[in-house]
Amino acid sequence: MATRQKTSAPAAGGAAAQPQTVRDAVVVGGNRIPFSRAGKKYADASNQEMFTAALEGLVARFGLQGERLGEVVGGAVLKHSRDFNLIRESVLGSSLSPATPAFDLQQACATGLEATINVANKIRLGQIESGVAGGSDTVSDAPIAVSEGLRRALLEAQHAKTWQARAKALAALRPGDLKPLTPATDEPRTGLSMGEHQAITTARWGIAREAQDEIALASHQHLAAAWDAGFFDDLVTPFRGLTRDDNLRADTSIEKLASLKPVFGRSLETPPTMTAGNSTPLTDGASTVLLGSREWAESHDLPVLARFVDAETAAVDFVHGHEGLLMAPVHAVPRLLARNGLTLDDIDFFEIHEAFASTVLTTLAAWEDVDYGKNELGLSGAFGTVDRAKINVNGSSLAAGHPFAATGGRIVATAAKLVAQRAAETGRPARALISVCAAGGLGATAVVESV
Amino acid sequence: MTAEPLRTGDGTALRVETQPSLPGLGGLYARGAAASGRIAAGRALPGLPVIGAGRSPSDTDHDGGPLTLPDVAYRVAGVSTAGLGRHLHEYQRLLHEPVSDVLPAGYLHVLAFPLATAVMVRGDFPLPLLGMVHLHNAVELRGPVRLGDALEVRAWAENLRPHRRGVQVDLVAEIRRDGGDPAERPVWRGVSTYLAKGFSLPDAPAADDEPRAEWHLPLPTGRWALGPGTGRAYGAVSGDRNPIHLSALSAKAFGFPRAIAHGMYTAARALADVGHQRGDAYRWTVEFAKPVLLPGTVDLAVTQEEDGFEYVGWNGRRRQKHFSGTVTPL
Repeated sequence: MATRQKTSAPAAGGAAAQPQTVRDAVVVGGNRIPFSRAGKKYADASNQEMFTAALEGLVARFGLQGERLGEVVGGAVLKHSRDFNLIRESVLGSSLSPATPAFDLQQACATGLEATINVANKIRLGQIESGVAGGSDTVSDAPIAVSEGLRRALLEAQHAKTWQARAKALAALRPGDLKPLTPATDEPRTGLSMGEHQAITTARWGIAREAQDEIALASHQHLAAAWDAGFFDDLVTPFRGLTRDDNLRADTSIEKLASLKPVFGRSLETPPTMTAGNSTPLTDGASTVLLGSREWAESHDLPVLARFVDAETAAVDFVHGHEGLLMAPVHAVPRLLARNGLTLDDIDFFEIHEAFASTVLTTLAAWEDVDYGKNELGLSGAFGTVDRAKINVNGSSLAAGHPFAATGGRIVATAAKLVAQRAAETGRPARALISVCAAGGLGATAVVESV
Repeated sequence: MTAEPLRTGDGTALRVETQPSLPGLGGLYARGAAASGRIAAGRALPGLPVIGAGRSPSDTDHDGGPLTLPDVAYRVAGVSTAGLGRHLHEYQRLLHEPVSDVLPAGYLHVLAFPLATAVMVRGDFPLPLLGMVHLHNAVELRGPVRLGDALEVRAWAENLRPHRRGVQVDLVAEIRRDGGDPAERPVWRGVSTYLAKGFSLPDAPAADDEPRAEWHLPLPTGRWALGPGTGRAYGAVSGDRNPIHLSALSAKAFGFPRAIAHGMYTAARALADVGHQRGDAYRWTVEFAKPVLLPGTVDLAVTQEEDGFEYVGWNGRRRQKHFSGTVTPL
């Protein structure tokens, strides 16, 4: 109403600005560095070095040297306070035009996808013509903080006006205060690690160990096959002597996976099922995705893989166990598909981030559950069943690893290339659904479609 | 010093003795230790009056009764909270409460605890302070108490009764807004029930042996990693520096393999975990089971029920319950 009044009553304040229409944002391509298990090849690589490497590879691949892009958006989950402008500093260290703006954002493991949503939305609104989304994370080079006691004493000493006051502030220190704080993946509100949270969700849904190991095995087999088929040749740039994801175990077997001891959920009443094999390892890496308007891609003679259709984020009440920590995407996807007039049957590829093998399985189980569909998702029954053959067809985080903020970019690039390939093969449009769970009971989901 | 009489839950009239200020806990523990020693000596030496050792009610009456609780309630008026900001915030950070100027029910317990302890270290209090076991605690908070509110605190002991392992007693503390109508319900009321092991009451009916209900481990909603300094940290904030909480060495002297967490620390953290849904007025109860040895890990489940929250804390590896309780909005 307000808008119409504005446009139909020029007397009130002169001519209104031109109304904006939403246009398409497309994925041109992606580039990442191979992901590496923590403490190995990238042990001394910083987030900025890794993100710059991934970005520079993208610039080289699409000939963007000296180009002023509309925006570069990304972040890191484990981030040092000195890296307040991580992405802008990476842009300045790249061969993009220094006139390319940038900003950092963070949404835990959904950082990379949220960055893509931001860039796509700016393009769709006509605010920018092109942009890069991505993320970087290192567990090996993680920031280490001082204890709360030491931090407070140092701050107090710094604020003190006299040396006596300074000495008094420092005298309050106890030996225990000198122990550094290493970043933990424990949820601040519950004290439970992400693995323990997922072990609880796994127990609630009664997910079997064998089913989880099968997901893990498929992830390694699919990722290995994709590497062998050259799928990642134009999606990855080698870094520090690494040419493939070094967590990938092409030769793993169901027997090997079954031999691993459970590591999460060991103090629950039900037998533990989650092992190092069916959980993602701590990983270092960075990824980027190039997006633009169709016009921009055309004018720069760049290919278009997919249209970034729409996205939906969700959050769940996990603190007192009403919902599982990693179940937010389960809520986001029905809303996302409904808004776009789609059903699960309209999706050709399901890219469900494998935080744990059981995350995929609890997601599927919840969607297939009638009561859950009614009571938790507000549907008339179960949301639906996903054809297993469509899930993570080129592998996912269990095999590739999961450098938190870098996972979104890896998945968006993979999904965009998958739908482009499928459409080229069949001549029919293809769609991929992306689902990423995150700490804090968060989740981000998106749909990409071939053009 | 004597004001209007006060009646306990069972109707006993108590003299109200007004104290000039809240006592410090350090001195009280010294007195408590001395009194505990005196009581222990009394039990060990034949010929001295022994509490409840097969004596008839008439004997007890004749002696004036070492079994009777002091017929006095302590009162302190004009307790200012204006200067407690820093202390309150330290408490809130330690207990994972949101930092604000509203005093959580557990903080009010800390405030009233010294006066209740003063009752327990009186010469005529029949049980030893040291070695008493905190069995359960029930608190009602009727509305928000804010930093700057002036308060009146009262404390007394009542309801000495048998327990299957000794005798139990309630320490009652009440907090009112200063200058309010004394007949009005207190804004905060806490009942702490303690057990003195090895004591007995004459002709006491056998205390019910609580049936041990089969307990299934719930799915946890939280986990506390409690460091070795947990007892020292809560001791510093609460003033409750009972040696069983401070170090392995001092705890060993009282028969514990390591230092144990304060029961009220665990209950107050569970209360904090419930969060803002508890509202400004709530009833908060806790029943203590196995003590939490430090350092240690406590698994916690907070579940929402129809009229409030239930919580339970346990040791996941040993599958032993540490405590359970409720938080019910009023």
